[in-house]
Amino acid sequence: MRDLKNMQTTEAPTKWMRFRVSLLGVVFFVLLLGVFGRAWNLQVNQKVRLKGFAEDQYVRAMETPAKRGEIVDRRGVKLASSVDVDSVWVDPSMLPDTRDAAKKLGKVLGLDWKELYERFEKARRFAWIKRQVSDGEAARVKALGLPGIGYAKEPRRFYPQRELAAHVIGLVGTDSHGLDGLELSFEQELTGESVRREGFRDAKGRKLFTNGVEDTQSSNGASLTLTIDSTLQYATERALEKAVVDAKATAGMAVVLDPRTGEILSLANWPRFNPNSPKGSDGEAFRDRAVTDAFEPGSTFKAFVIASALEQKFITESTEFDCEKGRWAVGRHVVHDTHPHGLLTPRGILQVSSNIGAAKVAQKLGREKLVETYRNFGFGERFGLGLPGEGRGQIPFPKADIALATQSFGQGISATALQIAAGYAALANDGVLMKPYLVSKVIDADGLVLIDNKPTQIRRVVSAKTAKAVVAMLETVVETGGTATKARMDEYRVAGKTGTAQKVDPIARGYSDKRIASFVGMVPAEDPRAVILIVIDEPKTDVYGGLVAAPAFKEIALQMMPHVGAPKSREMPMVAEKPEKSSKPEKSAVTAGIEKLEQMDTVTEDVAAEGAVRVPDVKGLAGRAAVAQLLTAALEPHLAGSGRVVSQKPAAGSLVEKGTRITVELAGQLPASPR
Amino acid sequence: MSERRPSYDPLLLTAVLGLVGFGLVMVYSASAITAQDKLGDSFFFLKRQAVAAGLGLFGMAVAMKLGYRRMARLAYPLLVLAIIMLVAVLIPGLGTTVGGAKRWLRVPGVSIQPAEIAKVAWVIYLAYSLAKKREKVKSFSIGFVPHLGLAGVLVALCMLEPDFGSSVSLLFLMFVMLFAAGARLSYIVGMVLAAIPFAYIAIASSPYRMKRITAFLDPWANRQGSGYQVAESLMSIGSGGLSGLGLGDGRQKLFFLPEAHTDFIFAIIGEELGLLGVLFLIGLYAIVIWRGLRAALNASEAFGTYLGLGIVSLISFQAVTNMAVAMGVVPTKGLTLPFISYGGSSLIMLMGSAGLLLSISATAETGARRKAKPSRTDRPAMPSGAMEPA
Repeated sequence: MRDLKNMQTTEAPTKWMRFRVSLLGVVFFVLLLGVFGRAWNLQVNQKVRLKGFAEDQYVRAMETPAKRGEIVDRRGVKLASSVDVDSVWVDPSMLPDTRDAAKKLGKVLGLDWKELYERFEKARRFAWIKRQVSDGEAARVKALGLPGIGYAKEPRRFYPQRELAAHVIGLVGTDSHGLDGLELSFEQELTGESVRREGFRDAKGRKLFTNGVEDTQSSNGASLTLTIDSTLQYATERALEKAVVDAKATAGMAVVLDPRTGEILSLANWPRFNPNSPKGSDGEAFRDRAVTDAFEPGSTFKAFVIASALEQKFITESTEFDCEKGRWAVGRHVVHDTHPHGLLTPRGILQVSSNIGAAKVAQKLGREKLVETYRNFGFGERFGLGLPGEGRGQIPFPKADIALATQSFGQGISATALQIAAGYAALANDGVLMKPYLVSKVIDADGLVLIDNKPTQIRRVVSAKTAKAVVAMLETVVETGGTATKARMDEYRVAGKTGTAQKVDPIARGYSDKRIASFVGMVPAEDPRAVILIVIDEPKTDVYGGLVAAPAFKEIALQMMPHVGAPKSREMPMVAEKPEKSSKPEKSAVTAGIEKLEQMDTVTEDVAAEGAVRVPDVKGLAGRAAVAQLLTAALEPHLAGSGRVVSQKPAAGSLVEKGTRITVELAGQLPASPR
Repeated sequence: MSERRPSYDPLLLTAVLGLVGFGLVMVYSASAITAQDKLGDSFFFLKRQAVAAGLGLFGMAVAMKLGYRRMARLAYPLLVLAIIMLVAVLIPGLGTTVGGAKRWLRVPGVSIQPAEIAKVAWVIYLAYSLAKKREKVKSFSIGFVPHLGLAGVLVALCMLEPDFGSSVSLLFLMFVMLFAAGARLSYIVGMVLAAIPFAYIAIASSPYRMKRITAFLDPWANRQGSGYQVAESLMSIGSGGLSGLGLGDGRQKLFFLPEAHTDFIFAIIGEELGLLGVLFLIGLYAIVIWRGLRAALNASEAFGTYLGLGIVSLISFQAVTNMAVAMGVVPTKGLTLPFISYGGSSLIMLMGSAGLLLSISATAETGARRKAKPSRTDRPAMPSGAMEPA
């Protein structure tokens, strides 16, 4: 045996060799120990972290993105909705030639192919090609017939009314999360709850081991119903735009409230933006000034001072004040009136807007009472409207005599447009301050009402008698001799007040020559259906609220009163002015939409005269659809249960008053819609 | 010559068979879903691995029956065969390119990985050569240069595939065995230092190796790209925790972890069986190393010692490296987990080697007995431990 002979020439292991082999053995054991130590570190110390990473890939990706809820106006007109749009992705590992595929896809989708190619090379199993493509683009990609291409439905936010109420609604980012406005503050409700499924997905994105039935409905976001009336909102925005442009002003705001309920019927700002393509607008355009910005309001505050002094019997309606011929020294300061006046009653002080008169009334009231008055009218506090960045304003205690004087005519304090409108609404509502609100209902995808806001009294500020007396005084403001004759209407009685405030110069820390001009009014004065506030920031042509803001008030009021069915205050000879809309030649999508809406409304008005409507048949509808129908018919839906409508009360077809509560009973689960 | 029935080390045999059995279970668990998805047969990889295990058992039995000593005669033929195969795999048509590397030799019906054969052939050759050269191993020109030259040829062939992991294995085996044979430490250290620039060039010149390094340095930063495998592997192992998710319940093998049944099978073990499973696996390797080296030390002649050491080194190097790669401790190499990973060439060659190790253990047992009772020796031709040359 040759190999055995070979072996004879070899030697047995020496001691030295034994040592070296044993040493190597020790090294191997140490290495194994090291491996075990690393495993301990990963599986004991880092377990939670690593498990979290792992679950991220197979659990979170299983979440079905909920469809974002709609935002509709008080009549169900869609202001924001979500539509499913295709997004194209690819599994690059399935492409036979990534370079070629990138070139083809780049050409079809108008993308840089090199960038696509890089993305394909970097990704293993998944890469977006283009998100939120048009139907045409999707079809063109399909026509290429490439393997490994997938289409994912992604919801995209769409604002059918474009700029309309954009500041209130806000907007979302590309990932459909709210960035501003109600979209931000109701983010949680609108987003809904993405349902985490009991199951996993594999790396190819397929669902595995899914337990339970698909439940597509409950995961979708809730919808918001606003108190906003789009028709009115449109009229408000148009009137405000005109006023701002005519006065060559930098900005403007307008608020329309229903004084009886506190509902915000419209809320407008200028400049504005289109939430569908927000990139084109500058930062100023996004600001919801009417809610966020506190400014020195000026003479509009005089009405609160006089109401409070009357209420607390410091003065009577016939108390006369010496208005010092337009110049009155308070300490080292001098208070001026625009025009010199002699003796004035409270009515006169309001009519001609005498600063000296108001200051003298405030003197009678005293420092504490003045501050208390303003606070009672809702100033210095937020209403909690639910919009981001709501301002609260400042009502500082007037230590100096001059501060007491200036605060009586709205300088040295600050308030938001919303607060001023709400304060006047309290006067219009027989002295009761209502909490302003914007969102009337939040209804989830099953039709269940999550939030149901009702008119809320904050407090009685003054007695009905005092309130009525002040309103009567304010009617003289628009009559001959008043500061706002331009707000006068033939058909409706108007009570209101102008304000022309000096703006604080933030750099020089004094008053600048810039002005904020405003007009706040209620109409019809005998039974106010609306409080309308117009604020024009830095007007250049004229500075007085009676000149630059009052016409916008009138324009809005004239369109609104027939729309809400307010009875005319005075019978008019049949020479009514032509509707203004025919004079506007340009017709944007918004205009068209609103005009259609206006026609729709007039039709409803015809059928159901005197504010009565026919109850629609909502049986068999899903909760959400039933709500929409009832709201469109100006009825108040009240839902019980979930599922589809099985009964309604009062019955379909019966004639009821507008705003009547319709109780709708729902039952049964909605059938899972096949997706 | 009437040979007594040799007594193989039962513990070593149990550990090796335990590893193979464990491997079959894990290959099935790791591959079933992928196999079902891609090939429509969840048992596809298990079946092939079982066949390889059967062939491996046969090879193991043959190696035990023949005895390791006959391997001395096969040292050169095996080495030549390995070199021929390493060359053949580079020839287009004979070698199959998978993932940019020509590592498989396609013979009708089967595909062979020449590098796996080369590693075992290299161990046998080194053991033979070192045992033959005895004291001359200490000399630079006789003990060092020829081995280095041959290693250069093998490494060059492996790098042409390219197969960095096998190249490193071959060099590691050479250094370990030269060290045991008494080569001067200064030569070995010097060689390792001299190899560093070459290794650097090899890594830096190839973008995919560079990627592996960056992926290793920060797998999370490159999670979607080069660090994907390592990151997924870390997540798998970490998810396992102490006792694992349960056999077959791993989630990472749902296509998240590529090569779950081959190079990254350790990640599935960690995920499904947890730290306890890892401990079990490491324990089996520890037994193989302990009993293997014990057999090597008790071998009656240097060839057995070197061969035993070489085989143990091969197994432990691959095991430690593979597990370290899966846990992100060293960069990705492409080495299998011995006896566990799916792959016929590797399994058959390793089981054959285990057969040789067992054969060494058997003669070691008899050798040990001989030492205790020299009179009972029935192999006069064999030199005993006492017969060392002066």
